[in-house]
Amino acid sequence: MKIFRKLLLPFISLCAFLVSLVIGTVIILLNGDNPLVAYGALIEGAFNGMSNLAGTLSSATPLIFTGLGVAVAFKGGMANIGAEGQLYMGGMAAALVGVYLPLPGFLLIPVALLAAFLAGGLYGLIPATLKIKTGTNEVVTTLMLNYVAILFTSYLVNYPFKAPGAPLGMTVNIQKAARLPLLYPGSRFNVGFLLAIAACILVAVMFRYTGAGYEMRMLGRNSIFSKYIGVDVNARTLQCMFLGGGFAGIGGAALVLGIQYRFVQNISPGYGFDGLTIALMAGFSAIGVIPMAILFGALRSGGLTMELATSVPSELSKVIQAVIILFMAAQVSFSKYFTEFMTGLRHRREKKQGTGGS
Amino acid sequence: MPFLQTLFGPEVFAAALRVMVPLLLVSLGGLLTKQAGIENIGLEGLMLIGCFSGFVVNYYTSSWIAGLIGGVVFTTLTALLFGVFVISLRAHEIVTGVAINMLGLGVTTYLLRAIFGVKGAFTDPRVQGIPTLDIGFLKEIPVIGTIFHKQSIMVWIGLALVFAVHFMLYHTRFGYYIRAAGENPQALATSGVSLLRTLYMTVLIHGVLCGLGGAYLSTGYLTQYVENMSAGRGFIAMAAIAFGGAKPLRVFFSAILFAFVESLSSRLQLVQVPSYFALMVPYVVTIVVLAVTSWREKQKSKTRVI
Repeated sequence: MKIFRKLLLPFISLCAFLVSLVIGTVIILLNGDNPLVAYGALIEGAFNGMSNLAGTLSSATPLIFTGLGVAVAFKGGMANIGAEGQLYMGGMAAALVGVYLPLPGFLLIPVALLAAFLAGGLYGLIPATLKIKTGTNEVVTTLMLNYVAILFTSYLVNYPFKAPGAPLGMTVNIQKAARLPLLYPGSRFNVGFLLAIAACILVAVMFRYTGAGYEMRMLGRNSIFSKYIGVDVNARTLQCMFLGGGFAGIGGAALVLGIQYRFVQNISPGYGFDGLTIALMAGFSAIGVIPMAILFGALRSGGLTMELATSVPSELSKVIQAVIILFMAAQVSFSKYFTEFMTGLRHRREKKQGTGGS
Repeated sequence: MPFLQTLFGPEVFAAALRVMVPLLLVSLGGLLTKQAGIENIGLEGLMLIGCFSGFVVNYYTSSWIAGLIGGVVFTTLTALLFGVFVISLRAHEIVTGVAINMLGLGVTTYLLRAIFGVKGAFTDPRVQGIPTLDIGFLKEIPVIGTIFHKQSIMVWIGLALVFAVHFMLYHTRFGYYIRAAGENPQALATSGVSLLRTLYMTVLIHGVLCGLGGAYLSTGYLTQYVENMSAGRGFIAMAAIAFGGAKPLRVFFSAILFAFVESLSSRLQLVQVPSYFALMVPYVVTIVVLAVTSWREKQKSKTRVI
């Protein structure tokens, strides 16, 4: 029974994925295309050959960070819908360091990453502080702060830090030394990916083996109980949001230092919101974030290939994603129905055996 | 003072009124679910679906009424989907809301390309705009005339709906059920009223209002559809609801305020002030107001314990 419960979440994730694939197939058919060709192109574009794989992993990199940021916050009981804003703040900080700070090369990247972590983390502290001081629900505040961050960074790259002569708001290119070293030439697959994996492992270890991690998990499960057993709820809430915001901020840095090499207004095509989906599908497990982020990275980069090969627009992946989220949101109900169904089956079997015996 | 004339002339108010209507309609829808105890962050997606489907139906029928109805129908169906997941399947409301937003953006962008082969903006002479109502005698009055005499029918419908929603919530049995569903669902269920039915009815009415607001956006003051046309208005509507404490009349005033800020922000650019800060106002104001109200409630409950 224990194993059954452990397998339930991956099972429902898988079902959600399959259902969305079926819906995707129907849409592709309605579009007058061959689903096999379309999905074939998607998989080929995402995984076939080193350069495609590198493309998938490079789009997965910021997603791992935002997914991790959301997962950490949720694990500690903070519904962080604000990863998008934290990513913008972090990306901006990284870009400013990368463009303007005259540091020796080997220091530039660590300092830029640190700046991004601090910027995202501090931005995450705003809703956390409001929550512990005034009891304001963090869902609405984190959501609203996304738009504040997007507008604020747009202002920065359109006025004080605008690259001269640029057609839209963007900074000038970051220094060469601030670029994250590439792992596969000809792509944007870079060291950031390894950092992302390391961050996930670090967080998993923290949750599993440290007192602080244990208290955060406890807090996420039952805040009243944690208070009774002497957890400093306020401090843990702040730490947890700081960490979560910080990782989302590094996601922004990964985008700026590893992919765009500058901060462009509206830099993120919803990586923060994707992070929410990813964290959710991973059941807020730090390690689980990695495969989910790679899956979403594959959808992103494979979607473009699919669009070129067929007439299926790449926005299809967004629809698929929405369906996945819907099912994941209802997973508690589904698992309840499923468990009831299974116990019902067992009862019936037992009954049958009972009547057979008598 | 040409500067102040640019910022506060009656034209600004007339523009604010046009900008306000979609915001107001979606806010009215959202406040109903909020009153019923459902936090819906999917307003943005619902609005976008209303916006797109209203435009498409209008395109095929060349009738603004059919367009409005089409927008309402598709938005209500999406709202029903939201309802099934949140009410019956007990899905996490916030996450479901995120999914609805994503679905709205994905489906509309996808269909825009699949049906019309267009990316970005789309317009066609076949689309019939929602007519304006020319009220002759208003024209004579100096300031009010400029603001009101040639406004869209939807402006008047929107204003009427504020009072209709207020009346429904506070002066009808069903409105009482809605509020009870939010405040004390057990009590409502014990009194023999179907909680499920109340919640579903609320979600459906909220879908209708969101659909009207969305359809007005693409066939009202503009007859054009632009990818992701709602552009955050659903979230500003959430801000208006929070700012107005989910009460129709107060939400109406916050919608006026935020719409004024929005039309002001485009004017501010004319006088060389970055509009970004003006556009931030609704979000910042909402955060501050939410914090202050939560803090006051916290203080109140503290003194109550003592």
